[in-house]
Amino acid sequence: MNNSCYLGIDVGSISTNCVITTPEGEVLFEIYRRGEGNPIKSVQQCLAQLIEQLPDRFHIKGVCTTGSGRILAGAVVGADVIKNEISAHARAVIHLYPAVRTIFEIGGQDSKITILRDGAVVDFSMNLVCAAGTGSFLDSQARRLNITIEELSSKAMMSQNPTNIAGRCTVFAESDMIHKQQLGNEQKDITMGLCHALVRNYLSNVCNGKEIKPPIVFQGGVSANKGICRVFKETLQCDIIIPPYNMVMGAYGAAIIASTSCIEKTKFRGKEVSAHHIITKGFECGDCPNSCEIIEVLDEDEVIGRTGGRCGKWEGRTEPREALKGTGQMGTVAGSSTDRKMEHQTCRQVDNVPDLIQIGVPKK
Amino acid sequence: MTYMAIPNIGNYTIALATAVESLGIKAWASTATTPEALKLGIAAAPETVCLPLKAHLGHFIEADRAGVEYAFMVNSVGTCRLRYYRHMIEHILKDLGLKIKIFGLGFDGFKPPIVRHFDPGPITFLKPLFHTAVKIKIIDELEVAAWRTRAIEITHGDTTLLMNKLLVELSDSKTMARTMAIRKKVAGRFAEIPVDKERKPLKVGLVGEISFLRDKCLNKNIEYILGRQGIELRNFFLLGEELKNITRIVFLNQNKRKYLSKVADRYLQCTVGGHALDSVAHSIYCADEGYDGMIHVCPSGCMPEVSVRPILKRVSKDKDFPILEMSYDEHTCGVGIATRLEAFADVLMERRKK
Repeated sequence: MNNSCYLGIDVGSISTNCVITTPEGEVLFEIYRRGEGNPIKSVQQCLAQLIEQLPDRFHIKGVCTTGSGRILAGAVVGADVIKNEISAHARAVIHLYPAVRTIFEIGGQDSKITILRDGAVVDFSMNLVCAAGTGSFLDSQARRLNITIEELSSKAMMSQNPTNIAGRCTVFAESDMIHKQQLGNEQKDITMGLCHALVRNYLSNVCNGKEIKPPIVFQGGVSANKGICRVFKETLQCDIIIPPYNMVMGAYGAAIIASTSCIEKTKFRGKEVSAHHIITKGFECGDCPNSCEIIEVLDEDEVIGRTGGRCGKWEGRTEPREALKGTGQMGTVAGSSTDRKMEHQTCRQVDNVPDLIQIGVPKK
Repeated sequence: MTYMAIPNIGNYTIALATAVESLGIKAWASTATTPEALKLGIAAAPETVCLPLKAHLGHFIEADRAGVEYAFMVNSVGTCRLRYYRHMIEHILKDLGLKIKIFGLGFDGFKPPIVRHFDPGPITFLKPLFHTAVKIKIIDELEVAAWRTRAIEITHGDTTLLMNKLLVELSDSKTMARTMAIRKKVAGRFAEIPVDKERKPLKVGLVGEISFLRDKCLNKNIEYILGRQGIELRNFFLLGEELKNITRIVFLNQNKRKYLSKVADRYLQCTVGGHALDSVAHSIYCADEGYDGMIHVCPSGCMPEVSVRPILKRVSKDKDFPILEMSYDEHTCGVGIATRLEAFADVLMERRKK
């Protein structure tokens, strides 16, 4: 029996999800975890849960990270592939429902629409600067009504006569909601009104100008809200498919990407990473007036990855800071390697060329 | 030494710095807006104006703090709000109580006021201008070469590094002879970069607002991100081409915009201002030339580019040609930009496979 499996990790704004699949793409195991604003810790906790629950006979053959925290998570676990979440979500849907033509995805901070034709992504759109019409909008309103997000879902389903609430902006929605509350509207109607506001906002902002054709799949954290699903069905007059792993589709897609990308030897650092003491440290590069802030991910004292920087000199590199900064000694760095390509790379690091060229007197 | 702050327009700032020498003074600028300048500009400008104005304003405030006495700002006729940039910046700086003096490009009489003020001799004036023209040409060549090699380089970052090196050299070059020597070696140096010749990179055009097309700080280094995805770019703003166009208008009465408006005639008949016409015409051009996709860079609040957006949607639909809308403002985060660009590259790749 084949005991290899693949790990997909989706580090989103609100939640961190893990999925383990077989090489054929069957889900063995899924974790949905609401992160408390600390992506490294959430990833570690997910891995810790894996140690407990995954039988020892399974070996992880490849890891792919996705979501907005994909680079950081990739550094922490040692990812083989780092993929953007739009492609990851689409990949999972294509695997489950090859005939799908539209994907709605509403997460914590992002809402996206992906248009597929014949099993390939042809167009996508993502919300712009504002987080109205996403999960955090519902979250903050539920908090205001003093109910949990699950209660909001069940309450909304009981409503017969939803209230009209301005949903253009969270701030307006809130004042409108208070107004409706004081008028004496029932709470269930207000919650359904919120669902209507979110859907209206999503369809007019994110889906603006896109051709929405059934079959439609709806996924992401917000798809757990039955009220929203009902409103979508009513508004679009067609059936909406909620996939079985709707909350963790990003991670599922990542796992499928890992399983199909022919990884010979995984860079996965092992499940034991969960017990390591991983910290991040920020410093200013200072090689040019851009003064990019670079974040170092440290496992004990060892640098396991870096993020940030505009010129790409730091990204994903684990060499000592001095070598990259261009202040290292030429002989010691370049002479140590025999491999031509390696030598080429290390030589490159000792060159100190600024990304931003300064003309005239120095800037302060 | 007297210094004059000039606006940042990406790498071309290096060439423009030479032009300033024609006035017998030195330039003060950098090839991209610094984050510090952007912060200053955002704090000082009204909230609703577009980001390029904030960037330029911040740049001049920073200049004033560094002790620079003069500043120069373009104010062209016929484009968008850029026309009033100088006046607005002048007023805001005055309100802030800064002493820096801003010149424009206006003509009243034979000599522009800026030339009258510094009054350089004819040779001091003309020599650096020729030098500038050559430098602009070289930077054009550098940009074009970089787009091509960055997509197929074997070690990521080689092209950017070489480009930065040559730009530093170019910036240090004070004589025409040295500049010409740099020009000779550009092609050779780029050919030395190890590339994967088998790879057929995706071809993508980049149109939109000019400050955003050029300033790495504002567009979050879009050229680098795309190059790393293996995308061969064509940025439709090259200063050399624009200058060539002006020369053509003056000497031959041939305006490139006449040709562009012919191309875009079905979609855009009237002038919107800014580089709206260019955005539409170049998108149509790219669709017909067999490019894989198009990216439209648009600062939110930029009137010409915002009016172009629905038109581009139509072009995209008619020609079955993917056009990605990128809307930027000061709150735009790099992660969101990178995600969209990566996903766009995936979309184009799948389209090509078919």
